[in-house]
Amino acid sequence: MAFYEQHIHPKPTTFLSKYVFSFDHKVIAKQFLWYGIFFLLVGGLMALMIRWTLAYPGQPFPVIGHFLFPTSNGAVPPDTYAMLFTMHGTIMIFYAITPILIGAFGNFCIPLMLGARDMAFPLLNMLSYHVAVISGALLLGSLFVPLGAAAGGWTSYPTLSTLIGSPGVGQTLWTLAIFVLGVSSTMGAVNYITTIITLRAPGMGYFDMPLTVWGLGLTAILNAIFLPVLGAGCLLLIFDRVFGTTFFLAGAAATTGTGDPVLFQHVFWIFGHPEVYILILPAWGIVSDLLSFFARKPAFGAKATALSMTSITILSTLVYGHHMFTTQMSPLLTQTFMTLTMTISIPSAIFFANWLGTIWKGSIRFHSPMLFSLGVVFVFGLGGLTGLYLGTVTTDLYLHDTYFVVGHFHYTMAASVLLGGFAGTYFWMPKMFGTIMNEFWAKIHFWITMLGLNGVFFAMMLVGYGGMHRRIFNPFIYEFTQKLIPLNTFATWSAIVMGFAQIIFVVNFVHAVFFKKEKASDNPWEVGTLEWTIPSPAPHYNFKEIPVVKCGPHELGNPNLSNGRDYQYQTEELA
Amino acid sequence: MTTMVMNNKREMREKMTSSIAMVLTLVSLSMLFATLMLGYVAYRFTSDVWPPLGMERAALELPTLSTVIILVSSLTYYFTETSFLSQKLKQFKVFFSLTFLLGVGFMISQMFLWKNLEATGIYVDTTVFGSIIYAFTWIHAAHVIGGIVALLFLIPSLTGKRDYLKGQIWVKNVGQYWHFLGIVWFILYFSIFIF
Repeated sequence: MAFYEQHIHPKPTTFLSKYVFSFDHKVIAKQFLWYGIFFLLVGGLMALMIRWTLAYPGQPFPVIGHFLFPTSNGAVPPDTYAMLFTMHGTIMIFYAITPILIGAFGNFCIPLMLGARDMAFPLLNMLSYHVAVISGALLLGSLFVPLGAAAGGWTSYPTLSTLIGSPGVGQTLWTLAIFVLGVSSTMGAVNYITTIITLRAPGMGYFDMPLTVWGLGLTAILNAIFLPVLGAGCLLLIFDRVFGTTFFLAGAAATTGTGDPVLFQHVFWIFGHPEVYILILPAWGIVSDLLSFFARKPAFGAKATALSMTSITILSTLVYGHHMFTTQMSPLLTQTFMTLTMTISIPSAIFFANWLGTIWKGSIRFHSPMLFSLGVVFVFGLGGLTGLYLGTVTTDLYLHDTYFVVGHFHYTMAASVLLGGFAGTYFWMPKMFGTIMNEFWAKIHFWITMLGLNGVFFAMMLVGYGGMHRRIFNPFIYEFTQKLIPLNTFATWSAIVMGFAQIIFVVNFVHAVFFKKEKASDNPWEVGTLEWTIPSPAPHYNFKEIPVVKCGPHELGNPNLSNGRDYQYQTEELA
Repeated sequence: MTTMVMNNKREMREKMTSSIAMVLTLVSLSMLFATLMLGYVAYRFTSDVWPPLGMERAALELPTLSTVIILVSSLTYYFTETSFLSQKLKQFKVFFSLTFLLGVGFMISQMFLWKNLEATGIYVDTTVFGSIIYAFTWIHAAHVIGGIVALLFLIPSLTGKRDYLKGQIWVKNVGQYWHFLGIVWFILYFSIFIF
């Protein structure tokens, strides 16, 4: 259904036009990938510092502690602890997951899987990356200002985030950085949606698109609609901090004429709940495709999967109140939000069952992308189920703001998205860089990561159930939490193991990108979507001839295959 | 002949592509302003008296002037577009210049508005009433500046340096943005100054 055929851009020749100011969606994807991996490491290091403090409060952080915290003899000081968990959350959500899943895979997969030569607006695409770089610089800069970085939590609720709670310039820079990143992501979202509507190859209907593109497209829709909501909140917060407006100053509006801190929470979560789906939808899409590709079976109920992802997208806009049950919300409202939240279980259950249906009796090939995808199925199942306790008012009143919440959202957002991101990286590596990563070390990486992250996040849920609250520098000053120290130590060591396992990935990745001589074949995984019909790595123009699509993306093991393989390309016709 | 028809078709479809993107952008911006209005509604209806603390309402003259200016500029833009489409270059230039001047005029009227507000004791940091007026008009004004810059991108069409179909895309999309700003201003005028 392509609206028009794009011209072939001339091949870039200079270093700047090739690697820095490139219009090529594949180069921009790689830029986002490196950007995301860099911030993943920064955020991961912060996570280790947080965990270390919870297991061994007051003891110096190993190796680099004395260099980073000279005033407190190498241990993390209390105010720095607050900055660490704030920046850890912010970096992981906005600067690691978003660039990798949406920036890198969105840019890389959408045109290639649709049979297009580039995004609809290449210049906008390039600007979107450079605006993201500005935002990253603002955020990193905020770590080094007087009074330190933002420390109000990744949610930055007033009054923690107004001048009363954080007088330093760090919080202002944080808010500005998030606003700028929002602009970048909105630019990307507009581009993705337009590309999906206008540049699908001839013959490709919406249901012929791979589910990866479905996930990325729905994410883009949520981004375009809800990032501006956060943007408005950030702007008002910046005005409060810089120009002295009184939007979020505490005080009753009628008597003192000042603002309402809870309003920011509403605005934040109107954006924030769709945001968790913004993060997870691309991973769902990737996993839905990969399960089918490596089970050598058509994706079970692919249409139903796509439609249930769509209904989750719609429902996700209606449930934000479940983050605010403890803000003295009217019980009528809490019940409404609870019911709407529970409704999300229905489409989730549908596509989860479809995942299981896809691997049921499949001829599964346990390559590394498949292992990671199966990992997503496991951790997302666990994360989704624990969400029910938090969406229910009665249980949430107890569990709210405990480590149970932290464990839950790490299972859904961190674990699922991380594993989904790794699955995508291992899978598209040949098309991105022309080489395959070492399978043996990929599998080692998977198992250590999987064990490590379950150790951390399950222990988090357990200590949360035991009553340990989030965001407290030393929770063990309370007697009832002292029994939880061994579990916390276990979580910390799991985190350290998981952290070290990522070195395997980095070495494997860097080796494959820069040093590996052996080139990958055009279609090493034997799948039929359009990106595998072209050479590896993809040439700068993607498709010499725009392909004509004749069948769906998952015709694996179909009895009507026409060519003697167990799969066929989307450009081939079924017998 | 056939190639020309095909090229036309291609251009028309490219036009559609950028229209889709423009609509998406406007949806995004609508959400930004809708969020601000949500805040306004929350403050307005949780307050017993409005404006709070016995403050005076803002004088209506300047906001009304701004409303008239931006309304007329939308009208002149409409004529800019029709004269461009009927390829009356001279009219196109006149109406374009008028729109541009009115855009600048709107910004000047806004600056006078801010000065006047200060003179009548409505400051940005006195109560949420002042905060709302200043912050919302600032955010809108920032978008108007964007609109004025967007108008400058039509200059190649004025001097005939851009081909006609490309020009159509530009004129249409900038127009949508320009009218959008008018609508937003009208909502702001009605809700925070009159209501």
